Amino acid sequence: MQDQLVTANCTTLKSAIISPMRYLFLLLALLLSSCFKEPLYHSQSYVFGTLVDISIYGETDEHARFLANHILENFQNLHNQLHAWKLVSENKLGELGQLNAAFQEGKKLTTISPELAAILVDATALSVKSNGLFNPAIGHLIGTWGFQRDEFTPIEVDEAAIKNLVHAQPRMTDIVIKGNTVYSTNPTVKLDLGGYAKGYALDIAANYLRHEHVKNALINIGGNIIALGKHGENPWRVGIQHPRSPTAIATLDLPDGWAVGTSGDYQRYFMLNGKRYCHIIDPRTGYPAQHTQCVTVLVPPQPPNQTQAGVLSDVVSKPIFIEMPANRNAAAQAFGIDNFMVIDEQSAIFVSSKMLKKIHWVESGVKFSTLP
Amino acid sequence: MLNFLRYPRLLTKQLLIGDWLIILLSLLAVYYLFQTLWSNEHAAKVQIRIGDKIYATYSLNQQREIHVHGKIGDAVISISQGKARFTKSPCNTQYCVHQGWLTRAGQAAICLPNQISLELLGDTKPYDSLNY
Repeated sequence: MQDQLVTANCTTLKSAIISPMRYLFLLLALLLSSCFKEPLYHSQSYVFGTLVDISIYGETDEHARFLANHILENFQNLHNQLHAWKLVSENKLGELGQLNAAFQEGKKLTTISPELAAILVDATALSVKSNGLFNPAIGHLIGTWGFQRDEFTPIEVDEAAIKNLVHAQPRMTDIVIKGNTVYSTNPTVKLDLGGYAKGYALDIAANYLRHEHVKNALINIGGNIIALGKHGENPWRVGIQHPRSPTAIATLDLPDGWAVGTSGDYQRYFMLNGKRYCHIIDPRTGYPAQHTQCVTVLVPPQPPNQTQAGVLSDVVSKPIFIEMPANRNAAAQAFGIDNFMVIDEQSAIFVSSKMLKKIHWVESGVKFSTLP
Repeated sequence: MLNFLRYPRLLTKQLLIGDWLIILLSLLAVYYLFQTLWSNEHAAKVQIRIGDKIYATYSLNQQREIHVHGKIGDAVISISQGKARFTKSPCNTQYCVHQGWLTRAGQAAICLPNQISLELLGDTKPYDSLNY
């Protein structure tokens, strides 16, 4: 082989290389051009008080932009309708805000939209399933902790107010829904759908895109993600945020119709005397749960006419977050969820055995325990 | 030198199987090196978004401070030797500043109140979207 190369004279060698190189260049150019023309539309916007990130694959840019803008408009309307405490326009609360005001006045019958009625029925069923750990009725508690504001600065912990609110036991089952009219038997009920609305919006967006015959999309509302179809040849891939550093701890592939949601103590929190107080409040104690850094749940597509994957991805992470370590599995099982990951206050990682088969650690040598 | 272009058959005559093997092996080696060295998470650029618009994309290979105007005020973004971070922000929580230096492709820092986001870009994207 060596001899042959040596005997071949310089010019022949050069041409021998140049000729196949031409084809190689051509091939490379073709490959590159196909890369640049990837039919992927991507947009980021701020709605729902958070970042909304929409990717649509396989549609023309123009059509994808139209679809994304429609979704964003829907989100803005939902946000106004379902916001617990913000004024939608001058001196005017959204539908949920008005309902909360009516609850506070006592047993006043209020007419609500069929959509909100359906949401309340569903949220009540989910709250019961979670043994009350997912409890959208504790809006007053969340407000007392200062999390119904745009900024989360440390507060003076009002122990008496917290004690009273826990004692008053506002629950979803205190709300009586008859058709499109509703009242509360407990005046301390204040609805905060912060742990439901984003997931609900995901389902609405996914259904809209399916209705428009869009095959491939990835929608991310403030960290809750739902997938439709694939990213070209490959499944959509999502990164799971590390709770304490600005990087992904793991990635996973999200198949068609699957949703993923994380509850963490790093998005809405304040520090007080060296302790972290996050927005996820244990309704039993009235205090923020402090034994968990984050919980990620992965939810498969659900049968029609049941709670859909988006809502479940938003809701189910909360009871697992709040529940004591020994009961985390049961909290997930109550919703039929067997793909989840927990990182506790010592940064110890627990992964369910099914989830373990789906995630890929970003760093090698990650230490974790497997849950059965 | 143009002999081979005129008479391509010379190629097949003068190059023996071993030569073709070498060419094949070197192509494989190039492909392998591409895969391992090129497509890892090395970040080359930082993309700054304000609201729903891409504001600018900067090379990370420089020392620079960038002043940008967000929804609630002026923020400062620093670039230094392959890294980028928020160094000043008008928001109350300062979560964005506390994120610290971003060093790898795919890493992102978001300032929700000011509606500014940073994302490090590499040659490949490690994931399509981030779950947080």
